[in-house]
Amino acid sequence: MAELTLKQVRKSFGALEVIKGVDLEVASGEFVVFVGPSGCGKSTLLRIIAGLEDTTSGALTIGGKDVTYAEPSERGIAMVFQSYALYPHMTVAENIGFGLSLARRPKAEIAAKVAATAETLQLTQLLERKPKALSGGQRQRVAIGRAIIRDPKVFLFDEPLSNLDASLRAQMRLEISDLHARLKSTMIYVTHDQVEAMTMADKIVVLNGGVVEQIGSPMELYRNPATPFVAGFIGSPKMNLYGGETARRLNCTTYGIRPEHIRLSEGAGQWQGRIRHLERLGADAILYLEVPELGEMVVRAEGETPFAPGMTVWANPVEGAEHRF
Amino acid sequence: MRNVRPYVTGAIALAVAAIIFVMPFVFVALQAVKSKSEASRLDFELPEHWLFWDNLVAVFKARDYQLALAYFNSTLITVVSVTILILLSAMVGYVMQRRKTVWNRVASIALFMGLMMPPAVVPTIGLLQDIGLFKTMTGMILIQVAYNLSFSILLYRSFISTIPRDLDEAALIDGAKPRQIFFRVVLPLLKPVTVTNVVVQSIAIFNDFTNPLYYLPGKENVTVQLTLYNFQSMYTSQYNLLFMNILLVTIPPLIVFIFFNRQIVAGMTAGGVKG
Amino acid sequence: MTETRRRSRKSPYPLWFFIPAAIIYGVLFLFPTISSLWFSLTRWDLSTAEFIGLENFQQFFSEPFLVKGLVNTLIYAVTTSGLKTVCGLMLAVLLTSNIFARGFLRTLVFFPVLVSTIGIGITFTVMMHPTKGIINVTLKTLGIPGPGWLTNPALALFSVALVDVWKGVGLATLIFIAGLAAISPDYYEAARIDGATRLQQFSRITLPLVRPATVIVVTLSLIGGLRSFDLIWAMTRGGPGFSSDVIASVIYKQYQAGFYGLSTAGNVILFALIAAIILPFTLWFNRREVGE
Repeated sequence: MAELTLKQVRKSFGALEVIKGVDLEVASGEFVVFVGPSGCGKSTLLRIIAGLEDTTSGALTIGGKDVTYAEPSERGIAMVFQSYALYPHMTVAENIGFGLSLARRPKAEIAAKVAATAETLQLTQLLERKPKALSGGQRQRVAIGRAIIRDPKVFLFDEPLSNLDASLRAQMRLEISDLHARLKSTMIYVTHDQVEAMTMADKIVVLNGGVVEQIGSPMELYRNPATPFVAGFIGSPKMNLYGGETARRLNCTTYGIRPEHIRLSEGAGQWQGRIRHLERLGADAILYLEVPELGEMVVRAEGETPFAPGMTVWANPVEGAEHRF
Repeated sequence: MRNVRPYVTGAIALAVAAIIFVMPFVFVALQAVKSKSEASRLDFELPEHWLFWDNLVAVFKARDYQLALAYFNSTLITVVSVTILILLSAMVGYVMQRRKTVWNRVASIALFMGLMMPPAVVPTIGLLQDIGLFKTMTGMILIQVAYNLSFSILLYRSFISTIPRDLDEAALIDGAKPRQIFFRVVLPLLKPVTVTNVVVQSIAIFNDFTNPLYYLPGKENVTVQLTLYNFQSMYTSQYNLLFMNILLVTIPPLIVFIFFNRQIVAGMTAGGVKG
Repeated sequence: MTETRRRSRKSPYPLWFFIPAAIIYGVLFLFPTISSLWFSLTRWDLSTAEFIGLENFQQFFSEPFLVKGLVNTLIYAVTTSGLKTVCGLMLAVLLTSNIFARGFLRTLVFFPVLVSTIGIGITFTVMMHPTKGIINVTLKTLGIPGPGWLTNPALALFSVALVDVWKGVGLATLIFIAGLAAISPDYYEAARIDGATRLQQFSRITLPLVRPATVIVVTLSLIGGLRSFDLIWAMTRGGPGFSSDVIASVIYKQYQAGFYGLSTAGNVILFALIAAIILPFTLWFNRREVGE
């Protein structure tokens, strides 16, 4: 396993700069998630690490070796594509063993390694099938198998769960996390889903418009978001963010308070609002308040909350949970 | 009444189509199995004796087995030129579709010229003479490749867009060199369009008369179409042999058509749609 | 700026893949065809070339038998193209409707496309023999005097054109079938509800929506018709006399006679003809598409 560093990496497509100077250090064995909205550059960054795109400037090292100009196959990486990119005309066994066959390894060696890899992913029964005869989850495992057999220094995942349905996604999330625990390899994982980011990452890199907004552990990002963007991106439902007059009165440019950090009371409080809408989710309830000086405020309360739409309530922020940017 | 209509129209259509489209072939087949005197009547009477094999052998034997030689030549030209054509055009179509380069514009214009401009025969003959390829099989093969490249490349270029680039990248990460990506990942996935291309080009090259007429004159290198044309003057009175010859020349495409019907239709439509 | 210190990473799509095809295509097609422009302005015998300016072209437009070839080419191309388009569409409509043995009929109609042109030419020449040919014999039994299909100078070209259409209509039909299949049946149903007759449905829905296929058929058959050689050569060799000569047969005849410059001029004229007809046509079509 290996550590990975990015130094001032920039990438432009023609006149358009999509990666604007990224610095990053990934320790050996870490599970790092690149997260951000569409177009933020996370996939581009991953592809730069993979060697599928060149840097416009900046350096990249893997395991201490400078690989900025190295071919993808020379970097010690392996990648799981969003579409899995399995070779349709080859069997599962041939797909997994393709890299070895290109390197002209002896057939016996290839067969043995493929069998071993298949074993760890429960693919042994499927070795002679072609990709079109596999389910989504099975194809994903084959894609992972093809990556594992390369014994890479760094694993790269490009939104691997986007093409799966919700229930399968939860299951595959666990499988990938288990994989990480077992192999203890360095993994870089790209997703736009903050739930995947929060649950799987050792470290999250939040990207926005080609710039790193913040790097930190999931809980760090949750507790201490560095910018309003990060604050609004991490956590569901989204943090309430207010700018303008309100913020100025509270001595900051943007004021933020999470829905789960607001307590409601019928008596007194900091803000008064009317409950416009209420969603009961069973364990929780989400209330949408109209607060005159702030606008809309989302509050998360107990599932059995006694409040109802139309009522006027008072809202109070929890001590120490306010964010001022 | 409603239900009968399709059958009635169909039956009429069948009858008319049979007369128009089938009759000429029946005519050919009939004369081909008749004796010389019967055939000279050029009618639809059934032959007294079915001289299929006799006529067939006679035609093959004519002029020192010229037809056999012609068959060999035509087949050789077809097989070799189609093979080269497939390989070269797949390579070009692949890079044209995948790579952003100014050469693509140049290539597109060049290809378009190939589809529209009639080849200038006399300068080509002069050129072939200078290179020493005039009246040679090699020259003929290369000419067939050159003249059919445009269509073939366009066919591949449009089909390759259906193969996702992900596969190229996965192969790259697996350590494939560019030529390995093409031969081991992309080319196998081009099989459907390759089959269509092979079938369509083979028929076209096998049936080609004009190009061998110009570039391959002479007895040693006759092709099937040239032989048939020459037979016309030879067998002014032996219609039965003439038609047997026609029959023999028609058979290969017929066989190909029977086996590859779907691919031919797909290929012609694709070519037509792409213009 | 950073180019100097970076080893340029190669694209995985090698440019050298172009080279083999480029060499064959460039040397054997592009080069001679472009140099024909020069040679058409010369009198040459393959070893020496004497520049004579536009003399070859003047000859083409003054000598009656050459002019005839020019005119015939246009007549032939327009006739075959027109017939193939109209018949092809009609056949396609018939063969996409719900008739019995539809698939078999499609195969029947298409088969001539695949057969040797020379074979077809010889067959029809025999069938069109003025006295012994099966066509005239049949007409005689019906009491109709059969014309000299290939012996009458006024008819020869048209006779060949008919055979050309017979052979080629299958391809037009095929293309039209594909074009018709692309028209959603919803349109016809809506029209039926609106009370349109079958004829109205055809003229208001089918014809406009099948236009892409029509353009392809017309373009392909025009180019093919202008360049046509095999069938004419097999059936009439440009005769009787030169009444059925076309540019392609003129090119060959001049070549055989050793007038290489003149022959090459024919090539240039043919190319100019194709360009002059096809380019405006495609431009006109594209503009109409956009205008709609």
